[in-house]
Amino acid sequence: MIGRLSAAAATMLCAASAHAAEGERIDVTGELIDTWCYFSGVMGGPEAVVGTAHHTCAMWCAAGGIPVGLLGEDGEVYMVLKLDGDDAANGGDSFLTLTNDTVEASGMHYARDGINYLVVSEVRSNLGIPNETHEDFGVIPGNAIPDAVVDDVLAEAE
Amino acid sequence: MMLRKILVLACCLALPAQAEDGAFSEGSEARNWNLTAQENARFTARVVDILCELTGDCPENCGDGRRQLGLVREADGALVLPTKNGQPLFTGAATDLQPYCGGTVEVDGLLTGGDAVTPGTAKVYQVQRIREPGGEWSRANRWTKEWAKANPDAAGEGPWYRRDPRIAEEIAKDGYLGLGPEADKAFILDWY
Repeated sequence: MIGRLSAAAATMLCAASAHAAEGERIDVTGELIDTWCYFSGVMGGPEAVVGTAHHTCAMWCAAGGIPVGLLGEDGEVYMVLKLDGDDAANGGDSFLTLTNDTVEASGMHYARDGINYLVVSEVRSNLGIPNETHEDFGVIPGNAIPDAVVDDVLAEAE
Repeated sequence: MMLRKILVLACCLALPAQAEDGAFSEGSEARNWNLTAQENARFTARVVDILCELTGDCPENCGDGRRQLGLVREADGALVLPTKNGQPLFTGAATDLQPYCGGTVEVDGLLTGGDAVTPGTAKVYQVQRIREPGGEWSRANRWTKEWAKANPDAAGEGPWYRRDPRIAEEIAKDGYLGLGPEADKAFILDWY
């Protein structure tokens, strides 16, 4: 009987460990990016869809519920599931307002089936958007700034 | 200036898109989006709250729409990350998957990215169609309907992202580049 109970307990433990992944506390410095455009290439190469060039589109994507990732200095992308305790990763305000900011973050890292996930417990510092990619790429997509806004600025300058 | 614009256009058109067949491509009717390392994928999976799946932090109903949702594929137990729904409107997949929280679905769509972008990384998934096993397919296009319900004051012409009050507030504060309205003006005068 004890043997059967032990086997049942072992089975339950195995089921529990299969359910939850092993996490590791890490510090990551990097830019909070739009992961769809980054991985899909739908708007060009990865270098064109980060920083200021892609800021407006990245806001659209963050508000639209596309996962926000932290592109670390190591080149890895960590899918952010929680940000400073906020679990509203499906379009929540915390994720929208920090888009393209470069941050120093601490949290728990989980790796499963080839994807990195990060539960950010603390954003230790925020460096704003130092990645001024618009100088090389303009804005991506090209209509990110509405024509009417462009026309107003040009008319004002004349 | 014109040369710079041409170079940017060339960069954006130089997509490394190449359709591939994968282990889950059979029977897929997903539409071509010309994505990086694109691979059709149709499979059966359980819809999970990713945070719950990884950490054991499991609120009711997968967090009621707040959280990112994943697909644990029946065939191999892999946790697949859906990043996009079927709408060409900057919209994710979690809202389309939310009604199926904890349930089993069949999905059809595209895998993209992975090693072609970041070595050692798995592809992410675009969900185009969803159905309960044996049920009718529905298009993964629920996001904009839910946005319209949540934002009745933003009704009007044009796509949702031009009318969204939260995005408008961010642009009013930090501009289209995120560097402030003055940086936007300088950029427009230089680039256009």
